[in-house]
Amino acid sequence: MVAAETGAPAPTAVLAEDASDTAFRERLRTFLSEHHPGKPPKDPAQSLAHQRAWLATLFDAGFAGPSWPREYGGMELSFAQQLIYQEEYARARVPGPMGTGLGIAAPTIIKYGTPEQKQRFLRPMLRGDSVWAQGYSEPEAGSDLPALRTTARRESQEYVVNGQKVWNTHADHADILFTLVRTGSPESRQKGISYLLIDAHAPGVEVRPLRDLTGASHFCEIFFHDVRVPVGNRIGEENEGWPLVRTSLGHERAAGAMNQAALYRRVVSELIALAQQRGRAADPLVRDRLADFEVRVRIMAQTGQRVIADILARGEPGPASSTSRLFITAFEQDLHEFAVDMLGEYALLGRADPNAVERSRWTMGFLRTRASTIGAGTSEIQRNTIAEQVLGLPHDPGMPAR
Amino acid sequence: VTLTFTDEQEQLRSSVRRFLADKSSSEAVRSVMETEAGHDPAIRSQMAEQMGLNGLAVPEEYGGSGYGPVELGIVLEETGRALLPGPFFATVALAGQALNAAGGEAAARWLPSIAEGTLTATIALSEEQGFTLHDLATTAAADGALTGTKMFVIDGASADLLLVAARTPDGPGLFAVDGTAPGVTRTPLESLDPTRRLGRVDLADAPGVRVDRPRDGTVYLRRVLDLAVVALAAEQVGGAQACLDASVEYAKLRVQFGRPIGSFQAIKHKCADMLLEVESARSAAYHAQSCVADADPELPIAAALAAAYCSEAYVHAAKENLQIHGGIGYTWEHDAHLYLKRAKSSELLFGTPARHRGVLADLVGI
Repeated sequence: MVAAETGAPAPTAVLAEDASDTAFRERLRTFLSEHHPGKPPKDPAQSLAHQRAWLATLFDAGFAGPSWPREYGGMELSFAQQLIYQEEYARARVPGPMGTGLGIAAPTIIKYGTPEQKQRFLRPMLRGDSVWAQGYSEPEAGSDLPALRTTARRESQEYVVNGQKVWNTHADHADILFTLVRTGSPESRQKGISYLLIDAHAPGVEVRPLRDLTGASHFCEIFFHDVRVPVGNRIGEENEGWPLVRTSLGHERAAGAMNQAALYRRVVSELIALAQQRGRAADPLVRDRLADFEVRVRIMAQTGQRVIADILARGEPGPASSTSRLFITAFEQDLHEFAVDMLGEYALLGRADPNAVERSRWTMGFLRTRASTIGAGTSEIQRNTIAEQVLGLPHDPGMPAR
Repeated sequence: VTLTFTDEQEQLRSSVRRFLADKSSSEAVRSVMETEAGHDPAIRSQMAEQMGLNGLAVPEEYGGSGYGPVELGIVLEETGRALLPGPFFATVALAGQALNAAGGEAAARWLPSIAEGTLTATIALSEEQGFTLHDLATTAAADGALTGTKMFVIDGASADLLLVAARTPDGPGLFAVDGTAPGVTRTPLESLDPTRRLGRVDLADAPGVRVDRPRDGTVYLRRVLDLAVVALAAEQVGGAQACLDASVEYAKLRVQFGRPIGSFQAIKHKCADMLLEVESARSAAYHAQSCVADADPELPIAAALAAAYCSEAYVHAAKENLQIHGGIGYTWEHDAHLYLKRAKSSELLFGTPARHRGVLADLVGI
């Protein structure tokens, strides 16, 4: 039996798929295969254009934004059909969305934006005509985000923004930056924060790619020098931006967790194949670790299914959904480090070296996944949140109030 | 696939939980575990007769109510949470499921009395060398006469009926033998876990009856083991959840340095990690139960996975619970040690987590 062919329960395995679901799946699958844009070009600028063209094709055919309301160009699918969408999309291996706006900024605008803002921002974002990047963290405000210092001073119908943001994923391609800025007093913490959309091409905005430890530049830092932003670009009320930060649409994250389980199902099978190919799988210690990754990747999918089953049955995910990110991030770090150790000295070679194994993907993964337990909230902060919000443990009196 | 519960199943869970909170509280468990029997016979008969729990997963044709492994899992999660001592686990989850899997005459002969609650039973797999499904030293003659030594048998010294794995010239098989039959010598073992009694069974030409079909019973015995560890996984999830609940409750109440210890990150992080493992164990256990219920051919994989993961998750939760309780957790009077001992005995009784991972590795082609 080949590992890759078993144990990857599809998210939709918990569904009783009815005729309209099946018809939807067929329609989507046909569309994705007939319009598949092919392999992206190597050149970064061309690759970007390729991705944009694909998103426009998708949008124009009405196949973009599975969880979005129809009036903003989305599909407004049932949760069941959203899962089908995710599954088919991943299966087709077509380019994904651009920027980080879709999952984070869009739900906020959909829930809290004015009709004019929704009209102006949502469709171009979904169609890939404007690319969005997040501007939350700052050099002095990482885990303690409410300490942020970038100021937005009100001058009649404009804000004048000054300050610095950091860890902004793909901000160098962005057209719009969705940011948190201080509109209250310096000590106001979360009571003085506003949610502001800033034109990335406006005068005074400077985006610098930041080289990370892998040598690549996925992140940027952003400097604002007297950047003038219309007041109409503020989402929600002034000083009331903080509660908007954690807005999400429906249960997109539960569907996202299933995609990761499917991705890592493939990776574990590739790791097993690598161990076998290099004659290491018979070593009892290696075999035990491989079996442990097999256990964990299957549990990842089983938990994803269970969360989805709970959403379908009760409308709410259970406590398992709160820990799935911790589970996945620890898993991906352990997995890559194990692969590196198994490869031994071969893991020490750079990707261009002719002796490198699989272009050093495991070593690069080992390095890349250092970020897994840092970005989007460190594991430590996540554990605090789970302990307080899921288990009800008391707030740390040494920390500022939430 | 059953990964979430119906209202009826939730009602079953709450009625079992209420019953056990009422009849098998921590004080009650502690007082019966010191007695010779090790359990309260009144609870045993109430579970069988009033609540119908013994026959829950027994098919109607054998006098049960015909529910399945998911309902049994719900009950076991609760008995595990309450550390219920007594014959329920071995009789219903181990022997009952083994007989049901065998079907035929054996099921017709013994399952009705298990469902009624009049017969206690167990399965005897391990031997002096420890847990094994292969290399059995116990032999069965052509007439079923059994000779050998079975060790670490849950309720081995007390169960009415013993289902014994033994070697025949055609391969291994499972044999039923009356606990009081001539040639059967039973000795209680002093066990680490005071809520789960173990025994040694010496067989010298003891009269056995084949339970599964004649010839090579290897596949059947593997299935018996799969059913056993899936049932045990449900208990482990219940026990691990009890440890997490106790830790969280104590961390909210216990004040040191002028604040509840649960406000310290060191404690919060432990509790968050316990939740992660308990929920992951739950996923594995429920998935394995649904494989049993759906007669999914992936059951052997799901069972090995659940056995490996749930065992370690429970032991870890039990150790962390003890640590979070500090000095009080180290005392005899506190329940933390009872959970730790149950967790350890559950982890080792049907093969270690490493063994289960080895089985999984074989099954998925590693």
